[in-house]
Amino acid sequence: MKPYFRNALLAFVIAAALFGTGFWVSNRINDLRLAELRNIQDRIGTDILSLETQFALLEGLSCQNIRENSVLSSELNALAARLAYTENQLGSANEEVEALKRQYSLLEIKDFLLMQRVSEKCGLKPVFVLYFYSNQGDCKKCETAGHVLTYLRETYPQLRVYSFDYNLDVGALKTLITINKIENKLPAYAVNGKAYYGFSDLESIANILPLDTLATSSATTTKK
Amino acid sequence: MNGFFEFFISAFLFVGLFFEVFLLLTFFDAEAKRRRRTKPDGNFPTVAVIVPCYNEENTIARTVESLLALEYPKDKLKIVLVNDGSDDTTAQAISLYSSYANIKIIHKKNGGKYTALNAGILATESEFIAVLDADSFVSPEALKEIMAHFDHERVGAVIAALSIWNPRSFLEKLQQAEYLLAIAFRHVLSAVNGLYVTPGTLSVFRRQVFEELGTFVLAHNSEDMEIAMRMQKAGWRIVNAPHARVYTKAPGTLPKLVRQRTRWMTGLMQNGFDYRAMYGNPRYGALGMLTLPFSTFAVVGIIVVSFLTVIQTGSWLSDFIRNALAVPFSFTFHVSSFSFDWFFLPLNTVVILGALAILILFVRMCAGAILSNTKPSVGMGIVWYVPFYGLIAPVWIIRAVADVALGIRRSWR
Repeated sequence: MKPYFRNALLAFVIAAALFGTGFWVSNRINDLRLAELRNIQDRIGTDILSLETQFALLEGLSCQNIRENSVLSSELNALAARLAYTENQLGSANEEVEALKRQYSLLEIKDFLLMQRVSEKCGLKPVFVLYFYSNQGDCKKCETAGHVLTYLRETYPQLRVYSFDYNLDVGALKTLITINKIENKLPAYAVNGKAYYGFSDLESIANILPLDTLATSSATTTKK
Repeated sequence: MNGFFEFFISAFLFVGLFFEVFLLLTFFDAEAKRRRRTKPDGNFPTVAVIVPCYNEENTIARTVESLLALEYPKDKLKIVLVNDGSDDTTAQAISLYSSYANIKIIHKKNGGKYTALNAGILATESEFIAVLDADSFVSPEALKEIMAHFDHERVGAVIAALSIWNPRSFLEKLQQAEYLLAIAFRHVLSAVNGLYVTPGTLSVFRRQVFEELGTFVLAHNSEDMEIAMRMQKAGWRIVNAPHARVYTKAPGTLPKLVRQRTRWMTGLMQNGFDYRAMYGNPRYGALGMLTLPFSTFAVVGIIVVSFLTVIQTGSWLSDFIRNALAVPFSFTFHVSSFSFDWFFLPLNTVVILGALAILILFVRMCAGAILSNTKPSVGMGIVWYVPFYGLIAPVWIIRAVADVALGIRRSWR
């Protein structure tokens, strides 16, 4: 066998091995990401269950322990960022990603319901926004709308934004959509029980929110 | 689009990795090691060095002085300076050397570099013919290092190891990094007789080659590539002398660099087309089966990857700008307290393999630096080589493809 041919054969095998290793490492990292997401969701699920249990023991719940921007809010936001990144890496059709999204949607709904009850009991006045989007390529404004809501959420900590993939097959989500009478005109918003459609710029979205009742993240005091 | 982009990048990376691993393996082969160990053996046949000059008033003196300083028996060395109808003071500059017994000066009407080379060949009877560009200069031991590699009757040409002289500007350091790669690249290809160019910066030929195959031809202004392909087709070997140091002046501005590389790339494509029977032809060994096909794949791949990257980047940029315009400027660019989060590290197959390919590239650059005994003064050039050439190389490649497709002929200068 000619030397160059032998080297070429060996180089092909080595390159294939390197490629396979790179592929394996990439898959392992994605597996670690998915495991991290599951861990976070389990943790949040437990935290929500804990708060619900505390709330059920009504007399035992001190409103001083609850704030509009509870630690759950920041955990949910962190989870959302990771989930979005993973979905971008692995694609929406990935089964694991879809399962995690379903769980995440349920956690959001549970947090929404819990915060509604807590607000009522403790006289808090957060603003709840249910935001519905699609990432099937049929909602060009959705990415910008999401970005604007992220900005508003960070600027107004009392603004609680819950984002849902409209097309996700989750019974509780379908019920939420039905209750709020959300039509398939995305991006869609449900603010204090009223539905709005199509807005993706800051001014339009800000107009449908009672932001003047909310403190900003740069405020030196926050309402209790 | 994303999936197609990743697929094509992955395929491109795989082939690139394969070729880089092949070069690395060949570097450690017996033949390559033997070439690295080859030393001057005291055998000094007659050599004529032909220096074609066209408007080289600024550099010709240095070139000639370096030839006069060659550590080679003066009675075995002839220097032929061919003034190809210069309209500056080149004629006067070379006339200063008319008193040297081993320097011959020829003045002729302008006819192009290949005509000057041929005039020089006809003017001598030396056993070996060397060619040297008038803006390059040689190290004193270069010629004897080269002659030591004519160790087989079928070695028809030996080429030198070319570097940029004293790189100072950022652009020069980038080119020096590229030339370090080329030193290692040519050394390795030489071990498998895979070279397809005999550069004008001190390549030495057996006279027998010109007697059998004819002298230089116009060849799309890349006669150095054409003669090499002609030699390979006729069964001659082309070898590299890794310790034969030659230095050249790098294009000092970006437009000049692009013009130079467009010419080289055009020559590669046009000569490649003329000698297309060698592509994929096992009769021509590594040259036919690897080097030539890979050079074509590289050109096509770079063009396709560049287009896809531009489209992807444009799409990303468009989304980014649209989102950035939707919120206050300060929000888009605010940096909250930095905390490293492994989760968001962009590690996928393409990134990992791309990093590996770049690492191997750096290893080859180091090999070139060690081979040529280059001091590590080009750090910035090595660091910025990939990002800069990644951006600029597609420009001259696409330009060359357009020139060939549209039949545009650009002037040498």
